[in-house]
Amino acid sequence: MNLKKISKFLKDSEKILRLGFSFALAQFKVRNEGSYLGILWYLLEPLCFFVIILLVGGAISQNSAPYYPLYLFLGLIMFNFFINTTSGATRAVTSNAGLIKSMNVSRESLVISGIFQFVFSHFIEMLIFLGFMIYFKGSIGAFIWYFPIFFFFILFVSGISFMLAAAGVYMNDLSNVWNVFCRLLWFLTPIFYIMPPSILLQKISYLNPMYHFINIAREIIIYGRMPGLFAMSCMIFFSILFLFAGLSIFKRYKSRFAELV
Amino acid sequence: MPEKSIQIVDLKKKFNIGFKRNEGALARLVSSISGRETKRELEVINGISFDVYKGEVMGIIGKNGSGKSTLLRIIAGIYEPDGGKVMTRGRVEYLSGFGNGLSPRLTMEENIYLMGSVLGLDSKEVKKKFDEIVEFSGLSNFIYTKVYQFSSGMVTRLAFSATIHCLNHSKPDILLLDEVFGAGGDIDFEQKAIKKMAEFIKQGSAVVLASHNLNIIESYCDRAILLEDGEIAKDGDPKIIIEEYKKRSI
Repeated sequence: MNLKKISKFLKDSEKILRLGFSFALAQFKVRNEGSYLGILWYLLEPLCFFVIILLVGGAISQNSAPYYPLYLFLGLIMFNFFINTTSGATRAVTSNAGLIKSMNVSRESLVISGIFQFVFSHFIEMLIFLGFMIYFKGSIGAFIWYFPIFFFFILFVSGISFMLAAAGVYMNDLSNVWNVFCRLLWFLTPIFYIMPPSILLQKISYLNPMYHFINIAREIIIYGRMPGLFAMSCMIFFSILFLFAGLSIFKRYKSRFAELV
Repeated sequence: MPEKSIQIVDLKKKFNIGFKRNEGALARLVSSISGRETKRELEVINGISFDVYKGEVMGIIGKNGSGKSTLLRIIAGIYEPDGGKVMTRGRVEYLSGFGNGLSPRLTMEENIYLMGSVLGLDSKEVKKKFDEIVEFSGLSNFIYTKVYQFSSGMVTRLAFSATIHCLNHSKPDILLLDEVFGAGGDIDFEQKAIKKMAEFIKQGSAVVLASHNLNIIESYCDRAILLEDGEIAKDGDPKIIIEEYKKRSI
């Protein structure tokens, strides 16, 4: 009986992931359709933003961190992934109202398609980061560690995305509120600056999961230092916790989505 | 005795719908700033019970707002009932119009794969069906053309062909058709589409067909129900139900 349930769960999950991937691929194509530079924008956009922050942010923090360009770029692209995916998730269900009212399409796949879409673009950004690593003579071996870190980061971002997608159906203002919150989080997370000695800011940072993910990635990949077991366990624990919390909230409310959008 | 594919017992559904209340200027100002509208409860389905057997084609007729689409959406699992029970056996597909999931900025080929995914097929299965879909649509010269460049008739051809062939491949046990029979478009294609649809619904699935087209209900249904204000007013032979509907509508 249990085996049957597990097999059904795996089959359903595979279907949801497959449909999410198809939606993401279609949206990815549509996004680049008719653009002169097409996929090149995925390289140019973060690069331009990086150069601007490098000049402005570097002046503020005086580039005091070793390998500051790598420090900045990694923080920038990880935060970009978080903000793009979660902002899209606030409208993932409401923007597909027609589809969910006219077909019994899995609601989860609508959220997953947004995640996949930004995973594609994040991989392109990672190629630039790899280029920087080679240029700054960083350790390519350490770069491999990014994949397990990014895997748990995806779980964490997915959890938040599922929560936001469900809440977005009930609160029309959520996307505006979330955008403001993300701007605040951007300044509270040491992306372009180095963690200041202020105790208050340090305390806030410890409560900020983005700080932990970005910090762990920087420590391992750029500086070749293994963070403590506690930090790693926290990252894994909170990723899984957020994913399950997000999925269970979404599951609890999804049956009402079609009549509310 | 054939097995029951759909079993519905004392089904109830209500919606909170917006309406204009007679209220003062201040209350109106507050609600326009907050964007929240006044709502009231509307009972759409009110204690419906019936069964549909395997291989049976059942028609639902009734005026606009009688609860036909809501009933189908509850059976499909799109809406959650507020009371009663819905039991279905096997894979359920709900179809309300064609072309759901079509993306106009993609090519016809890309759209066929996308619609296949929406209807639960993987890319290998769509690949097997691809030539058949293109041939049925009669659009073989436009495979790599973007759909926004199609005429509305061409979109209809593509949407119908892709949907019906993908559904045919996945063979649902229960098929719920909401005002869908044939495709629209020119006479040649419409006739071809109706023939295909008739073949499709006679394949052994339990079919529930809601339509205002009484000829279709009479020609293709084994049984029909007349819905009135969310209740079953009459259940039985399609001819008798249609006569009753006409009498009540005068």
